[in-house]
Amino acid sequence: MALFKDRKKDVDRVSTMIEHPGFGDRVVDVVVILLCLLVAFCSVIPMWHVLMSSFSDGRLLMGTEGLIVWPVGGFNLDGYVHLFKNSSIIDGYTNTLFYTVTQVALGFLIAAMGGYAISRQTRLKTPMILFLTATMLFGGGMVPVYMVINALGWVETPLALIIPGCTNGMFCVMMMNAFNAVPGEMYEAARIDGAGHFRTMWRVMLPQAMNLGSVIILNSVVGAWNAWLPASIYVPQSRHLWPLQLVINQIINENKDFLNTGNPDYSKYLIQFAATIAASAPLIILFPFFQDKLEKGVLGGGVKG
Amino acid sequence: MAKVENAYRVSKMSWKKDFKHNWGVYVMFLPIFLFMVVLHYIPMFGIVMAFQDFNINLGYFKSPFVGLNNFVELFSGADFPRAIGNTIILAVLKCTIGFVMPIIFALLLSLLRSKKYKRTIQTCSYMPNFVAAVIVCFLVQQFVKQDGPITLLLHNLLGVDNMNLLADPNPPTFWIIYLVMGIWQGIGWGSIMYVAAISTVSGDLHEAAAIDGASRMQRIFKITLPCIKPTVMMMFVLGIGTSFAGGYDNILLLYMPTTYPVADTIYTYTYRNAFGAGVSPDYALSAASGLFQSIVGTILLMGSNYLSKKASGSSLF
Repeated sequence: MALFKDRKKDVDRVSTMIEHPGFGDRVVDVVVILLCLLVAFCSVIPMWHVLMSSFSDGRLLMGTEGLIVWPVGGFNLDGYVHLFKNSSIIDGYTNTLFYTVTQVALGFLIAAMGGYAISRQTRLKTPMILFLTATMLFGGGMVPVYMVINALGWVETPLALIIPGCTNGMFCVMMMNAFNAVPGEMYEAARIDGAGHFRTMWRVMLPQAMNLGSVIILNSVVGAWNAWLPASIYVPQSRHLWPLQLVINQIINENKDFLNTGNPDYSKYLIQFAATIAASAPLIILFPFFQDKLEKGVLGGGVKG
Repeated sequence: MAKVENAYRVSKMSWKKDFKHNWGVYVMFLPIFLFMVVLHYIPMFGIVMAFQDFNINLGYFKSPFVGLNNFVELFSGADFPRAIGNTIILAVLKCTIGFVMPIIFALLLSLLRSKKYKRTIQTCSYMPNFVAAVIVCFLVQQFVKQDGPITLLLHNLLGVDNMNLLADPNPPTFWIIYLVMGIWQGIGWGSIMYVAAISTVSGDLHEAAAIDGASRMQRIFKITLPCIKPTVMMMFVLGIGTSFAGGYDNILLLYMPTTYPVADTIYTYTYRNAFGAGVSPDYALSAASGLFQSIVGTILLMGSNYLSKKASGSSLF
């Protein structure tokens, strides 16, 4: 009867027990494992190639073809030394950190308040929901948005990078669903005890809704850290405002020309690889810790609005 | 109890009473209201510039109206129809091959017997999703450049010329690179929905089928796939709806003037005309092409949603 006990936990184990897998099944197993390993391999190997290239010797690396699976010509950190001598990368880090924190904090506050508002029973509930869903269906496009931001005087200022992308209708609807799932008694108890709407939301409802809330926050963090397009549209001239990704892109592009100088320093060839690692490392190191939460977010995002 | 509202009392409540009780709720809606009005609704009216000979110094109110001239200009030139063609091709590739890959991967994962392997492989496959667009494009450039690993692989296996594949202006090369790049980024992350859906398929069904002698392949096609069909349909609707509108910003980092014939999409065309370096911006033309893209995108989303509702009863809205 152990068979039935395990059923809910592991479907495949049950069927294996019944089937007594034959030769054909074993072949399927091997093929499946090989294909899965192939996907995992392909997912990881490009970054590995860059990581190992960044530790290589510049001159030897230039002459090496194909995949780099181990540092060429011994381990060295010249690329990173060059990279961090460049002050713009430090600016890039601070800017990105600043934009990410402010953008995510502001966006989440707005989305939480909006989501709370459309989850309450008010006479304007339906119009408010429609108001938000309409924005998910149709947008004016990037040029009219640029015109508005230009008219507000935000072009070439950090505001253009923080405010426009901080939240969206989808986040509000997700927060609405999260607040709807909080037991009504908690809300009523808080209200009867005399808490205002904001205090009810912040102190009573939000802690209950933080499962989905933290997902929104994590997704916003990933989006904000990796963003480059808004900066290239709104602050193309102000290099001191550029986020990390745009700085990296610039470094990679400028680096292509270093061979044309009189006596090229081959270790400069490594800068682009070091830059790539420097830009990606924070998220790649952190994401496995939040993997479960982020996975839930993908599922939560599919909830009917 | 005076302050506590509930659904059935609200409908009877007078407006005055509603505002007295719920003004706090409306105040909390205010930030998102202002946000949406300024950054979504006003730009929606801003599309009038698509019908104007827009001059940034004159603004919306003083620029002369030219009717559909901008659209005539768009469609009579060679660049925009070409961009439409490329967008359609890339969108179709994304919605067919790009769409089934995560499903296949999820099915493969469900066939793995060891949970530990499954978890490790999933974690590895998620990684590309966290790599920034700028970096992904750099990786692509590195791998398909002359003497790059993929170029060499294809050169040795299929006899493809050892050259920078991104610079190849002949049709399928760029499309394949872009498709593979999308699959690489999305295969693991895109499979989460399907893995979750597969895990909810009842074990009883599998067990009954196994007892009746169904092989694992038969069970995939006869049990698992029908069971996850609603999820697949939903993702398909979403995929078609967004296929036209988003996700083409990477091309800005990959294309070059010589590959515009195969790589230029409506999105990049819009961007280049308004913000491209070294070009005097033609905002009206750019707004017109952006509007065209928005409209097609909305029609696609509504249309595919409607079809999915008709066909399978599941829909997004």
